[in-house]
Amino acid sequence: MRNTKKWFLLLCVMALSLSVFAGCADSSNTGSNAPNSGNQGNSNNGGEANAGGNGEEASDDPVQIEIMLPMKEKEVPSDRLELLMEEMTNTELTFQWVPDGNYDEKLNAAYATNSMPQVVYMKNQSTFTQYKEAMRDGQFWEIGPYLEEFEGLSKLKESILNNTKVDGKIYTLYLGRPLARQGMIYRKDWADNLGIQEPANVDEVYEMFRAFTEDDPDQNGQDDTIGLTDRSDLIYGAFKTVTSWFNTPNNWGEKDGQLQPEFMFDEYFDAMDWMKQLHTNGYMNQEFPVTSKEDQRNLFYNGTAGVYIGSMQDVNTLYNETIKNFPDMEIDVAAFIDGPNGDFGMWTIPGYGNLIMFPKNTIETEEELRDILAFFDKQMTPELANLMFWGIEDEHYEVVDGKANAFADKADQNAREVKGYKDSLIGEPETNGRYDGYHDLAARVKAEELILEMDNHLILDPTAALDSATYSDSGIRLQQLINDATYKYILGDIDRAGFEQEVDNWRSQGGDQMIEEFNAAWQANQ
Amino acid sequence: MSDLSVESAPSVRTRMRSERMQRLKRNKLLYLMIIPGLLFFIVFKYIPMYGLIISFQDYKPHLGITGSEWVGWMHFDRLFHDPMFWTIFKNTLLLFLLNILIFFPIPIILALMLNELRLEWFKRTVQTIVYIPHFMSWVIIVSISFVMLTQDGGIINDLLAYFGFTKINFLMSEDWFRPIYILQVIWREAGWGTIIYLAAMAAIDPQQYEAARMDGASRFRQVWHVTLPAIRSVIVVLLILKIGDVLELGFEHVYLLLNAMNREVAEIFDTYVYTAGLRQGQFSYSTAVGFFKSFVGLILVMMANWLSKKFGEEGVY
Repeated sequence: MRNTKKWFLLLCVMALSLSVFAGCADSSNTGSNAPNSGNQGNSNNGGEANAGGNGEEASDDPVQIEIMLPMKEKEVPSDRLELLMEEMTNTELTFQWVPDGNYDEKLNAAYATNSMPQVVYMKNQSTFTQYKEAMRDGQFWEIGPYLEEFEGLSKLKESILNNTKVDGKIYTLYLGRPLARQGMIYRKDWADNLGIQEPANVDEVYEMFRAFTEDDPDQNGQDDTIGLTDRSDLIYGAFKTVTSWFNTPNNWGEKDGQLQPEFMFDEYFDAMDWMKQLHTNGYMNQEFPVTSKEDQRNLFYNGTAGVYIGSMQDVNTLYNETIKNFPDMEIDVAAFIDGPNGDFGMWTIPGYGNLIMFPKNTIETEEELRDILAFFDKQMTPELANLMFWGIEDEHYEVVDGKANAFADKADQNAREVKGYKDSLIGEPETNGRYDGYHDLAARVKAEELILEMDNHLILDPTAALDSATYSDSGIRLQQLINDATYKYILGDIDRAGFEQEVDNWRSQGGDQMIEEFNAAWQANQ
Repeated sequence: MSDLSVESAPSVRTRMRSERMQRLKRNKLLYLMIIPGLLFFIVFKYIPMYGLIISFQDYKPHLGITGSEWVGWMHFDRLFHDPMFWTIFKNTLLLFLLNILIFFPIPIILALMLNELRLEWFKRTVQTIVYIPHFMSWVIIVSISFVMLTQDGGIINDLLAYFGFTKINFLMSEDWFRPIYILQVIWREAGWGTIIYLAAMAAIDPQQYEAARMDGASRFRQVWHVTLPAIRSVIVVLLILKIGDVLELGFEHVYLLLNAMNREVAEIFDTYVYTAGLRQGQFSYSTAVGFFKSFVGLILVMMANWLSKKFGEEGVY
């Protein structure tokens, strides 16, 4: 009796300690997996020195590629397209989808623990800037010299690749996006009800916000509408676009023969004053500094707000969702909003939405790098580009007049099966040969035309290709000071003197150094 | 004299050792059962401390801990000269004080009240209801408060407006951040905090109450003279443990409440470590910040423990 009890206890203890060990073992396994799979790909192809080279696969073994990339949808995309892609390119792909919202966090954690996969997406320009030091340190492959070996990759636009150069070297592939696509999307039916024409300058836009708030644009006899719906994003929300309408420089501008940050220009204050007035008069949602993108759009969908400022390509989503609630609604876009002195300009991104980099500690040999670049090279062929961007023909989209029309009634399926891959394709239609989009929504067709037209009115960021050590080091922290001050100014918590004081803080905490460094780099470039 | 001590000391020691060995032998199974717990602490608490080294280095992931350059106190120096430092320090301490002064007594009061309830089923129902919020994540709690407090159609502001008051900007004001924070903490944790106190109260000998009643003590007097003294040591231990968590104010909670408008009062060490370390990739610096935070926590625990011993209580070590 006593003995059995003893043994039972002993067993319990052993089971417990075993489970603890098992837990440890598990985690260490997953940790070492990433580099392992990389090595396998390498040893498979290491023998064939001519593998890659001209971009052709000499070996029959599929190349294993592990890719970490941001995911804008809420769910991980199904692997349907992935399987087709693997077949088409003779690869074995492993995608690590990371929610877009905490991508930079995951990316930094992977970097800090040396567990980046072979291919990493960067998310955006500011994450890329953070990694400049690592690139100089030789942590990532300089792929510039290899690009011309590949027929597809050599088609990537040089002007955009130039924007990604670090010390004159190319480390990245890019995902092309239109340079400027910001504008306003508004309820055409409301404007018609009130007899308002398409606005062409900031005063007319302001008047539209006023009328949409005060003159009962939905004619239901109730005071339940506002003009603008905005969110807690000073860049892709309304604010940066408004600063462009007021002809503020894009991040940095030239004043007295020197580069200075945008918030040292009077135009920046004009834009803030304009927003402040909208806010004080209740022409926009009062809590925009804490409003999420979803809540912002809901205000449009449910007929509370009549204007959305942001990417004009969002017009389809806004239309599709709003028409469910208001079957008679009409929608329109406007982009050319002149500033107080009659000039128009629009800030622009550097031509890419995302960048792709190749860490050296997971890609060990040039052969392996060539094998992986060969996969991206195929993304520059219409077959793979269309598969990734549009899905399977006649199932996700159809071809109309040489353009792709995504099936609107299969929007959910498209989001589940295609969207993730669509967001990760390199190049742009001109270079990778994928179909342009076919649109039957008039406002979207107009938006696309406006986007093309705006290419002649771009406000470029003079620092896009320049370097500042302080900026890579503490740019994000310093920008936060200015962002907070901007919100506070618009909400009336601080006045101009208070804002200037924050600018002084910015200068003393590294801003002055940043100005100096950018100017030095700028002078050297001229 | 000296000869004697030289002779006797080893013999005392051996006796003690053999006694200890005997005790170990007798309870070996019990000691064996400690192993998983010990392993847990070694693997998940002690081994990770190795990483603190990087706060004295200019850590570069590819060089690793062994290859990175040593920079001494540079990161701490930067922290103490960081203009944000005193703001963060003040914010953290203030939230901590709110936790100790306002939140800490509430579970005790609640437990006392529950203990006085005579209807068993009513007591159990109330207990269950007050436990439930503990199982909700901060995301949900902050979202619910957001929906209630927003100026654009939140129920509280709508009520204020209905009764003719002006709407209050709860979410984006520096003044309201701390009250909202502590109210949420109370709502979520007060019920859960009563469990240990209720257990301690259940262990009180009923004869003590009977004796007190015989002496004509009212319900309040019984609580004051019997219940509270009986659970005093539990309160002290829990207070010390609470102080040990001094700077663990709940990263998730504060981060969710944090926005551009209340950063002056809402940025604490945890959120700062997150922004500096994970968002901006300053690994060494953020480790230094975290290290400093833990160090302050350690000092506070030692002080609390010392104080509690001074006052004749047991302390945690």
